Amino acid sequence: MAFNSTVETLPAMGRFSLRCKRENTVAMSKALGFELPSSISETAQSGDMTALKLGPDEWMLTCPMEARSEIEKSLAAIYPDAVHSLTDISSREVSIRISGPEAEELLSTSCPRNLAELKSGRGVRTIFDSVQVILTREEQNQFRLDVWRSFVPHVMGLLTVAVAEFECGL
Amino acid sequence: MLLIHCPYCKEKLPELEFEYAGQAHIARPENPAEQTDAEWRDYLFIRSNVRGDHAEQWRHSHGCGRYFNALRNTVSDKFIATYEIGQACPTSHAEGEENNEQLES
Amino acid sequence: MNNWRVDGKGRINRDKRVRFTFDGVSYQGYEGDTVASALLANGVHLMGRSFKYHRPRGPVTAGSEEPNALIGTSRSGAGRFEPNTRATVQELYEGLTTVSQNKWPSLNFDVGAVNDKLHKLFAAGFYYKTFMWPKSFWDKVYEPVIRASAGLGVSPTEPDADTYASRYLHTELLIVGAGPAGLAAALTAARNGTDVVLVDENRELGGSLLSEAPSAIDGKNTESWLAAVIAELEACDNVRIMTRATAIGYYHENMVGVAEKLTDHMENPPANAPRERMWRIRAQEVILAQGALERPLVFDGNDRPGVMMAGAAQTYLNRYGVKVGNAAVVVTSHDSAWYAAFDLADAGVKIPAIVDVRTTVNDYLQSEAQKRGISAKVGHSVTSVSGTKRVSGVKVGRISGDQHVTDIISIPCDAVLMSGGWTPSLHLFSHTKGSLHWDEENEVYLPGERTERCHIAGGGRGLWSQQAAFDDGVHAAQQALISLGQNAPGLSVDVDGDRAGSGIVMEELPSNDDKLAGRAFVDFQNDVTAKDIRLAVREGMLSIEHVKRFTTNGMATDQGKMSNMNGLKIAANELGRPTPKVGLTTFRPPYTPTTFGTFAGYHKDELFEVTRKTNIDGWAEENGAVFEPVSLWRRAWYYPKAGEDMHAAVARECRETRASVGMFDASTLGKIEVVGPDAAEFMNRMYTNPWTKLASGRCRYGLLLGEDGFIRDDGVIGRISEDRFHVTTTTGGAARVLTMMEHFLQTEWPDLDVWLTSTTEQWSTIALNGPNARKVLEPFVKGTDLSAEAFPHMALRECTVGSFEARLFRVSFTGELGFEVNVPSEHGRALWEMLYQEGKKYDICVYGTETMHVLRAEKGFIIVGQDTDGTVTPADAGLTWAIGKKKPDFVGKRSLTRPDMLLPKRKQLVGLLTEDPSVVLEEGAQIVETGDTAIPAKMLGHVTSSYWSEVLGRSIAMALIEGGFERNGTSIDIPMPGQTHRATVSGTVFYDPDGDRIKM
Ligand SMILES: [Zn+2]
Repeated sequence: MAFNSTVETLPAMGRFSLRCKRENTVAMSKALGFELPSSISETAQSGDMTALKLGPDEWMLTCPMEARSEIEKSLAAIYPDAVHSLTDISSREVSIRISGPEAEELLSTSCPRNLAELKSGRGVRTIFDSVQVILTREEQNQFRLDVWRSFVPHVMGLLTVAVAEFECGL
Repeated sequence: MLLIHCPYCKEKLPELEFEYAGQAHIARPENPAEQTDAEWRDYLFIRSNVRGDHAEQWRHSHGCGRYFNALRNTVSDKFIATYEIGQACPTSHAEGEENNEQLES
Repeated sequence: MNNWRVDGKGRINRDKRVRFTFDGVSYQGYEGDTVASALLANGVHLMGRSFKYHRPRGPVTAGSEEPNALIGTSRSGAGRFEPNTRATVQELYEGLTTVSQNKWPSLNFDVGAVNDKLHKLFAAGFYYKTFMWPKSFWDKVYEPVIRASAGLGVSPTEPDADTYASRYLHTELLIVGAGPAGLAAALTAARNGTDVVLVDENRELGGSLLSEAPSAIDGKNTESWLAAVIAELEACDNVRIMTRATAIGYYHENMVGVAEKLTDHMENPPANAPRERMWRIRAQEVILAQGALERPLVFDGNDRPGVMMAGAAQTYLNRYGVKVGNAAVVVTSHDSAWYAAFDLADAGVKIPAIVDVRTTVNDYLQSEAQKRGISAKVGHSVTSVSGTKRVSGVKVGRISGDQHVTDIISIPCDAVLMSGGWTPSLHLFSHTKGSLHWDEENEVYLPGERTERCHIAGGGRGLWSQQAAFDDGVHAAQQALISLGQNAPGLSVDVDGDRAGSGIVMEELPSNDDKLAGRAFVDFQNDVTAKDIRLAVREGMLSIEHVKRFTTNGMATDQGKMSNMNGLKIAANELGRPTPKVGLTTFRPPYTPTTFGTFAGYHKDELFEVTRKTNIDGWAEENGAVFEPVSLWRRAWYYPKAGEDMHAAVARECRETRASVGMFDASTLGKIEVVGPDAAEFMNRMYTNPWTKLASGRCRYGLLLGEDGFIRDDGVIGRISEDRFHVTTTTGGAARVLTMMEHFLQTEWPDLDVWLTSTTEQWSTIALNGPNARKVLEPFVKGTDLSAEAFPHMALRECTVGSFEARLFRVSFTGELGFEVNVPSEHGRALWEMLYQEGKKYDICVYGTETMHVLRAEKGFIIVGQDTDGTVTPADAGLTWAIGKKKPDFVGKRSLTRPDMLLPKRKQLVGLLTEDPSVVLEEGAQIVETGDTAIPAKMLGHVTSSYWSEVLGRSIAMALIEGGFERNGTSIDIPMPGQTHRATVSGTVFYDPDGDRIKM
């Protein structure tokens, strides 16, 4: 049985935790230049910037590293009128991409969620083994795990063992 | 492993994403300094120990991060309802009343 | 050699011979055999000795419920020995090595069998009653003897060399068991397009069809019908079939744990193949089609090798092509054993008699027996069995009206096939707390109220015939599909030559013996006899739960699959109460014994648990650090140079840091970003300290209490800007503190405009301490004047250090001039190496957590969780200065004036200076009044921190002592092994009490 999926860590990307009250989301969206998603697990994208809604008042923004100061500036400008919290967490997490036809089942070795219910383009904070992760289904057969840096060896270790298990065909 | 409905995510999700956070509907007194020693003791330590439906706080800690309330049966372990912080307990089961829900056979 | 094989019978592959060994003797079997079937084919019935009496035992079943035939198995290579493998389950492969258990020196001659002769000594409750006095005998006599003879099998001595896996799976319908009911359910759902997972513990699907094939199913012979059905199911994309997969536990919300054996049957498993995989299957609907287990009959000698279940003999014949004897007497209370007798007779086994304890048996069975020349002894009982290592005959007689047995004759035989009827296999249903109701007519427990979305089909509902099982499987599937909102058409499976039947449930078989004398076994694995159970009742055990614990009936690894109902029936009889009134013991997961490895899954070796490492950890490893675990982190503990032990290394690190400069990886400190217009208000409410007037660019020690007033955490907190705080927590407290903050924020103060973000891993934190710390740091800092005037103690700046954006704190946990540099974590190691290079000019020393602990203790700084234990208030710890006196409220404030918190004799944190300065006390040592040698002495408190202080040239310690502050200057004693030490109570600041060094 051929195994055709890959597991790789991704280069650094800009990441922010954005928090604000519901009434200020319009102002946030305006400052960012695109509509923040309104339901948990939804993502929105504009150019190379994405927003994933993780909680009722929480979004994760991603962008190229060099675009961070632009975002900081535009949101700082509206702070007096639309209070919020923007915190740079670019270095907190490392992203792992799992792609290929077996990606979903590979994740099911340690992920208790029913991954079939996570539609393409959606993401959630969940648990992988004992590690909290943000799991995004970038495409039908492509997932991204955002993992706190110090947990990456454990998560990669589990995925590596799982890949070997898939490759052995049992 | 239980499935718990998060009232914020509006999904039934694995228990592993959640953690228990104590009995629900115990508000911190408005002005603690005015509390008598006995009142403050009750707020700190006195909790019910129900055999039956119990109102509890849970947190979707490895999910949306929100605390919420839940009505759960301590005999069957099952969740009867979950609801947002600040909402009233949705059913009128008296404390201690046993309500061991079973599916019809 | 295989002269017990029957030509033309069985599903083994006769083209593939397989060699294996048992107790060093080489045997041959076929592919498709189990160890038990292959040994039986070689005429070997004696496969082990029992646990308590070391009685010779052979297999009594042909399945996973086997209590007797437990063996040790190993494949080549270290760490691959497994005890207590069921020979009836272990599949044969070339080169498999097996050994018998519980024997010494050999299976044939066993010294421990003397226990059997002494069985009157070993009656129920023997251990409870015998080894009670004198107390001193426990250590020296009883325990060593019991330990030497106890234990089932022999523990492996090497680490398990295998790996294990786990997987989550979600499906619409899970079907447990692939016998007639399970297959019919699977077909119904599969044809409907439903997502189906079908699991079975056997190597092939079919269940009872493999053991007892009806003459035809849907007009085909059973084998081709089965092959066609399996082919159809395998071709369905919506069906997943798992064999060698045992559903071991049924958990909340239809989660079923399934242990799948992947390589135990393979001669050469593929590289990297896990041995077993634990599936956690979440199904919307579950069908339990696990059939029924045959009950033994209880009579004297029913455990002798050669005595086995009638259904097992039928399985050995029809599935493995093995006859279990040449002359088999059948003893039964159920019709099913008659059919087993017919199958064996038709295969050439002599059946000298069918002994049926019932008073009547239907004419059809009697005439079929007659046709085969079998003597049908209805209304008869077996009173005893002869033969030790193999049955050689039975005594049979007529049951008279008063339950006496008359006209006893001896019948020679080499096998006895027994059947006490069938117990529905409801173990998994019981895991769900589903209720069982007593079916009076058939004397069985049947499924009652359900707590989960599950359906029971076939034998589990007391349905005995295969036609009934097929029909019930279809029905269960339709019910499940209706629950899923799918309406599936039914289907029909037509069985020809179906063998329906019924029977009665017996306690011990009638015999003329005293009921408290015989060796009639109820629980084979734990050697519990009918006598033991009656004795337990006579000694006052009224509930079956008590009987179980007193006799250990049903407490062996088979969890009473064979013994529970018989034990219950006998206890009820002795109590003179109806069976359902005596209660029923609870079945718990796992259904069958399961390896620890399967539960552990991937969590072994490196992946045993999470080990968090900082960005600088690699440098520490390359530079010879010794590590210690701190919560999930591993942290550099000390950095020994060649020839240094821990003491020498720590003394040097302390000395060099205070003399010049030391560098420390503080990245594991918890960090929380508190942001929003109400940030200062939130901090005021959470921490004891006042925050309103803390200027941006300044930091302050923060103390966090629980609402109960006890110290929970502490750390330095910096105000980055008006609305933004950088909070640090202890390493172990990071998650707990954030959780506590979120709890208050979300549930008590949702009105506050403030948000919390964990930034622990955003930053690498490097601490520089010592008189030369500024000199090391200065060359890398751009745009910030680090002089004492411009950047005083407790200042902070956002600046650039090296080329990295940084948050620079001037703080000190050592009492020396100190800085903590936070840079984005991926740059931690680069900055570390730059600072280390620069620091070489000043003989920089890299230190670990131990030196950090010593240096802070010299200054009297507490470690929360070491010097506090959850019962320590700020006053107890001498930290009242950290409380904002004017604040109306903060978490825990009200508790500080509770009566207990104001008692003068509370334990308070003080320093200790030993009389002998070279003595370093043990942390955790208890403290007593001087000269108190009473036993037990009154404990005043304990030592919380204790170190050798290099800078002071003596030991120092901190301790929590009753009324400690009042004792300043007085002596206390610390009894330690071998010697009691005396120490003087002091303040906790041992070094530089005026704090001059920090201001440099
Ligand atoms: Zn949620």
